[in-house]
Amino acid sequence: MKLQLTKDKTIEIKFPSGGGAKSAGDITGIELFAPGETGCPAVRLIRKKKGWHIAATGFVKSPDGELPMRWEDTPHQPIWEMPREFTSPHAALAANSPMATFAQSTADAVVQDMMSGLPAQDIKSALSEKTSLDGKKRFGIKRDQPAAQPQKPATTPEASAHRPEFPEAGKPVSENGRRFVVRPMAEENFHLCASLPEFQTLWLSRLLPEGKRPTASSIQVSESALMASILLQPEFIAADGSALAIFARPDSTYLAGYKKGEPVLWRRCPGVGGTLAMRETVRATLGLDEELVDSVLNESLIDPRPALEPFVRPILGQLSLSLDYLAGKHGLKFDHAFLMGIGAGAAHWSAYAEESLHLKLLSPDPFEGLVVDKGVDSGNASRQLVALGAAIAGMEATT
Amino acid sequence: MKTAAFHLNLLKSNEVLSSSPVRLRVMLPVGALLACVGLLVWWGVLFTQIFLAKTQARSIKEDLATKNSAHAEAIQKRETARELKQQLEQLEFYKAGVRAIGAPLAKFAEVVPMRVQLKELSISKPRPQVLMPPGAKVPLFGPIENVETQKLVIVGLATKETPVVSLMESLESGFETLVTGEHNVNSFKQDNTEIDGKRLLSFEIEYSMPGRRFAK
Repeated sequence: MKLQLTKDKTIEIKFPSGGGAKSAGDITGIELFAPGETGCPAVRLIRKKKGWHIAATGFVKSPDGELPMRWEDTPHQPIWEMPREFTSPHAALAANSPMATFAQSTADAVVQDMMSGLPAQDIKSALSEKTSLDGKKRFGIKRDQPAAQPQKPATTPEASAHRPEFPEAGKPVSENGRRFVVRPMAEENFHLCASLPEFQTLWLSRLLPEGKRPTASSIQVSESALMASILLQPEFIAADGSALAIFARPDSTYLAGYKKGEPVLWRRCPGVGGTLAMRETVRATLGLDEELVDSVLNESLIDPRPALEPFVRPILGQLSLSLDYLAGKHGLKFDHAFLMGIGAGAAHWSAYAEESLHLKLLSPDPFEGLVVDKGVDSGNASRQLVALGAAIAGMEATT
Repeated sequence: MKTAAFHLNLLKSNEVLSSSPVRLRVMLPVGALLACVGLLVWWGVLFTQIFLAKTQARSIKEDLATKNSAHAEAIQKRETARELKQQLEQLEFYKAGVRAIGAPLAKFAEVVPMRVQLKELSISKPRPQVLMPPGAKVPLFGPIENVETQKLVIVGLATKETPVVSLMESLESGFETLVTGEHNVNSFKQDNTEIDGKRLLSFEIEYSMPGRRFAK
């Protein structure tokens, strides 16, 4: 609440929000709109005296409706309530949005990205929302200032009428109709930058209603949550937080590098799909039914390598580049790397990696290092990797 | 290592909603408002109590002023009554102390012998009374001593001693209200006055009169 005492003097009174995410001891990580999933993967993480506990896992019913892709869609604001086992005080939402961005960038690139605003096809719809630009109350939220109009990227600093300031680390800012947040990486002048359209962030922020557990204390993009998902792995901690990881998602594959517990590399493998594509390749090549793919990938009765190799090789090529980059730039040398989210077929991946890179791929249970409470289903851990990562990051804890 | 380094939270702090059914954001202003109302009520009660106390004090003051004058009047009346009572008492004393000497004096005339000529029959003045003793604010209504003594002085001429003695003997009985038995012959001597060539004797006898008692 801001009180204007005199013309020049204004004081701000901050009421406790009651839902701060700082060192939350009980949080539910939820992945929204996960590709290939009908529900939302959810993991409830509780910090107890003896360590980190997985108190509940599952797939909760998706919120009514879809993630809005335009300002016009945001009036449809569903109210989403969690099942009893996920009623922790806080929730960390990890959203899959085609309009989300997550990348490692330089400060200039981040600022340039902030200046560019929404993609061209969204500018028109954003501009048509007059009420979103005139500072009036919209959907129960009073804007502090009118939303900035999307603008074309400036080619020179002089040409830019408004050059946004580089945001403070971890503090979200709204610029050109998008919400940005950055965190510094271990390499100087490099930052991880995540962004979502402003209307999607607002829609997500009000998804879980006030006064009922849980309420959103964190909104992340799914890639960001994915990156945090291995932070509690014993192997990762034993390596003092220095590791290289492959994150296989249903629709894409990512490589992540860590140096002493800080991010040092994040890149999407170009031209490579995700686990869905891998399974489809195996299925089509070997002429299998969908139900048999897992069996083929995990057992040795049928050799899936001829079908798997064309998919894995490009990834290993990218992995090789990343290894060279981390060794040359940061002095990090690895004899193993993490392979997360693969579900089935990890042994074949590791065999390829050992053959070509002399690198062993570890594919630990995502819940390893955590105490899984009695009665909790841990059979779908690889599908709940993003939810787990969202919860781990949302805790903002020190391990 | 800190997991916060990987927490890229797009949610602004002012957008974080409370999961508590009791919303502090609402309860704080409501609590503050209730506290203000409570203070106002308390202030109102206090003000009313002060007002009532002031009214009561003013009423008591007025009552006290009325009663003071009534009290002073009562005290004055009591004083007046006391004075009047004392006056009445004193009058009673004087009434009791009245010395009725008319009848004894008439009888006295009968007992005076033929050979005695009374020249003077006087009663001494009583000793002056101090009616304003030291420290007294108002004079006393009556004498401090309640017994007043006087002398009856009989001065006369006689031809010889015998009639005088006869007179003195006559006064010994029947004249208790006039004189007591205590007497003193102040003088008894030859006078220059002659009757039939004889020189007379003059005498002066002082009798104590009975005490005049101022008492009920």
